[in-house]
Amino acid sequence: MAVITRDTVPAISVTNLSHAFRGHQALHQVTFCVMPQTLHGFVGPNGAGKTTTLKVICTLLRQNRGEVEVLGRNVRSDPEGVRRRIGYMPDHFSMYRQMTVFEYLDFFAAAYGLLAAERDRVIGDVLTLTDMAGRRDDLISGLSRGMQQRVGLARVLVHDPEILLLDEPASGLDPGARIELMEILRELRRIGKTIFISSHILSELAELCDSVTVIDRGQIRFSGPMDVLLESPDSAGVWNLKLSVVIAGVRERLQGCEGVVSVVDPEFATGRDFVLRLKDSISGNDFLRQLVNLDLPLVSFSQQRRHLNDAFMELTTRGVR
Amino acid sequence: MLQGALTLFNWTLRVDQRSRWPHLIRGGFALFMMFALATAWLDAFGTTRAGLRFFEAVCYLNIVLITVSGISYFVTALTEEKEAGTFALLQMAGMTPLAITLGKSTSRLVSSLLLLVTQLPFAFLAVTLGGLLWQQVIAAWLALAAWLILVANVALLCSARCVTSGRAMALAGLLAMMFFGLPVVIVRTLAALPTVIVVAPTFVDVLQGVVKVLTNISPFSRIDEILNNWQQTSWLGVQFWGSVIPGGLCFVLSTALLGRWSRLAENSGTEGYVRGRRWLAGRCGRLPVAWREFHFFTGGYSFLVVKLLGGGALFAGFPALVWTQTGRWDWKPEGDVALEVFFACLGWLTVETLLYASGTLFAEVRQGTQSSLAMLPISVTGLLLQKLLGCCLALIPAVIWTLVATVLGWETLRVRLDMDLLLAWGVMLLFSSQVAAVLSLYTRWAALPLTVLCSFVAFFCLVLPILMIPDVVTVVARSHQFRYTRAFAWCVTAFWIWLLVVLPLQLWIRRRWMEVTRV
Repeated sequence: MAVITRDTVPAISVTNLSHAFRGHQALHQVTFCVMPQTLHGFVGPNGAGKTTTLKVICTLLRQNRGEVEVLGRNVRSDPEGVRRRIGYMPDHFSMYRQMTVFEYLDFFAAAYGLLAAERDRVIGDVLTLTDMAGRRDDLISGLSRGMQQRVGLARVLVHDPEILLLDEPASGLDPGARIELMEILRELRRIGKTIFISSHILSELAELCDSVTVIDRGQIRFSGPMDVLLESPDSAGVWNLKLSVVIAGVRERLQGCEGVVSVVDPEFATGRDFVLRLKDSISGNDFLRQLVNLDLPLVSFSQQRRHLNDAFMELTTRGVR
Repeated sequence: MLQGALTLFNWTLRVDQRSRWPHLIRGGFALFMMFALATAWLDAFGTTRAGLRFFEAVCYLNIVLITVSGISYFVTALTEEKEAGTFALLQMAGMTPLAITLGKSTSRLVSSLLLLVTQLPFAFLAVTLGGLLWQQVIAAWLALAAWLILVANVALLCSARCVTSGRAMALAGLLAMMFFGLPVVIVRTLAALPTVIVVAPTFVDVLQGVVKVLTNISPFSRIDEILNNWQQTSWLGVQFWGSVIPGGLCFVLSTALLGRWSRLAENSGTEGYVRGRRWLAGRCGRLPVAWREFHFFTGGYSFLVVKLLGGGALFAGFPALVWTQTGRWDWKPEGDVALEVFFACLGWLTVETLLYASGTLFAEVRQGTQSSLAMLPISVTGLLLQKLLGCCLALIPAVIWTLVATVLGWETLRVRLDMDLLLAWGVMLLFSSQVAAVLSLYTRWAALPLTVLCSFVAFFCLVLPILMIPDVVTVVARSHQFRYTRAFAWCVTAFWIWLLVVLPLQLWIRRRWMEVTRV
């Protein structure tokens, strides 16, 4: 992830964005920003306003009110400039199925004004990146859904955009294809792309994203680093301990350590896992030193965090509006 | 089975009921009938049998509309499920082929028959204008309903047979052309043959039998019979049973072979076909949208060559026909032949133009690619113009053969063709193609029939200015001693028609396209 300073221009800056469709307020005073070279998740229930926000950012929809800037360019006053710097992948499969993978990518690369020789190089690169190099002469209609999604991702990369806007890229994919897609996204972040991803698959977003925005009923419920969202007031001072083998009397030994309030078994007790509640006065590092001195066969020792699912359910309202 | 079919039938009827367009179309038909009736009433002063003339025009227009809409509406009944990948889901839901064909086609048939019913009260009003009996109205409406049943079920058969809507439409269109064109070709060929070639009498009998059957089933012959020879005919006639029974057979065939054909479609794919075409497409050029449009929407070079050769065969057919009659080979068609060649080429150009106009934007919406296109650094106008260019390239064969027919038959055309009417045709084609493009962004498959209806009404509104403006401009130009008065008059007419008729439609297309890209 890039070093972010106070002067860093946000990749995407949304300020007081509001939009209504025929009297229905889809977005209300939406404000958040996405920093460059980060992977930013955008989550919310169905009908929360995710796709509307994405469409405003990618200039397909002109907002009623508010300011949206992409790399410092206003989407309303400079849509052409914005379009050249972003790659948008919509939430539905939209492809020319009668073309081959190469023809499809060549068409979009040519539309972005790339010369033939340059197109060959770029298409080769994006196909390698998406692991589709062996399928370049296959018909799109003959590809599986996961492969079509990769071709869609390759398509948004042909003009080397700085920002990728991905609307539900993992929807309809099997677990294997989803994992592969997430690997590709990690690689894209590594090479310096800013990725703004709208998704329902929260478990993968939690692992993948640096920051997250939660939207519900057209309003922002949270926007910030993923770590902050997953920190819970209830779980402050609560730590998870995992041992490699079951050891008799370990609970008593743990309770004897300085700063321990309680030692309990987790929901599915195995004899090797413990949930420790520590006093506020003792830090994780200090307690870890004590654990090392106890000479226990440690596997992991980590602060308990909320699951993104829990955070999501707390922040959003159940039911469709 | 019956429950599944009823569910599907109910569902499609509800969709039809909730959708705005079917009601608008029915309302449009009613308005059209009122318009036609008013025109007939105005024409009736000092004439007799005005009702008959009005009713005749309505019936013939209905035949054209049923044919066009039948092809475009019913061919998608099953292919839309195949294209959306939901056909297998219907089968998994326990729906038999009969339930699927019944459920998918009956609602459309009912919806189409409702269009005929909407017009019936107005049709009865024609009786009051004179020259028509109410019995003739009923008989004509039965003939139209029978024709609808035949067209619908033949289209359903094409829909069951083909993998995509485009192919089903092409097959149904070919069958319709053969239905109407074959009798003419056979009769003219047989009339020409005896002078040079001796043919077995049995073969001639078979061909004459084919002509008789097709003529008996033809709705044009039947309407002509009802309106002009009512005393000699019955309520139903051969045409009714000759349409309903083959229509029923097509339905049975569709149902019986649906499972087999859909399995074949799943296993075959289109790879070979596309691979064969691909080597001709080459690399994308400076105008990528035009390249894509030409190669992947209109069929590319291979289709272009086929159309060039096909046009050549059509063109050569007429001199060949003259040769068989006179023993003289002359590439320059004269008299009636020159007119027939010219109108055949003009008809081809018209149909192809309307097909491209109604399909080019709709294809993007159907594939869901409009937002991807909108994100390209190409302006909306530039994108639409590139699409136009791609389609225009595909029209080259039709344009070439029309020009050849014009040049070679110029001696006849110059004398027998009113150039102002030709200009009117050009304007109407321009108008209709824009209307087809607009409507294709609103309706799913009804763009073409609606275009025919709109163009029919618009013709009466546009033809007067189209014919009057050149005359007025000519007079004014002559008074100012302009040299090329007629050409100048046409340029002025074309400008005003573009400004007042075509430009608003083009702006409408642009606006609607931008709306569609946001979906």
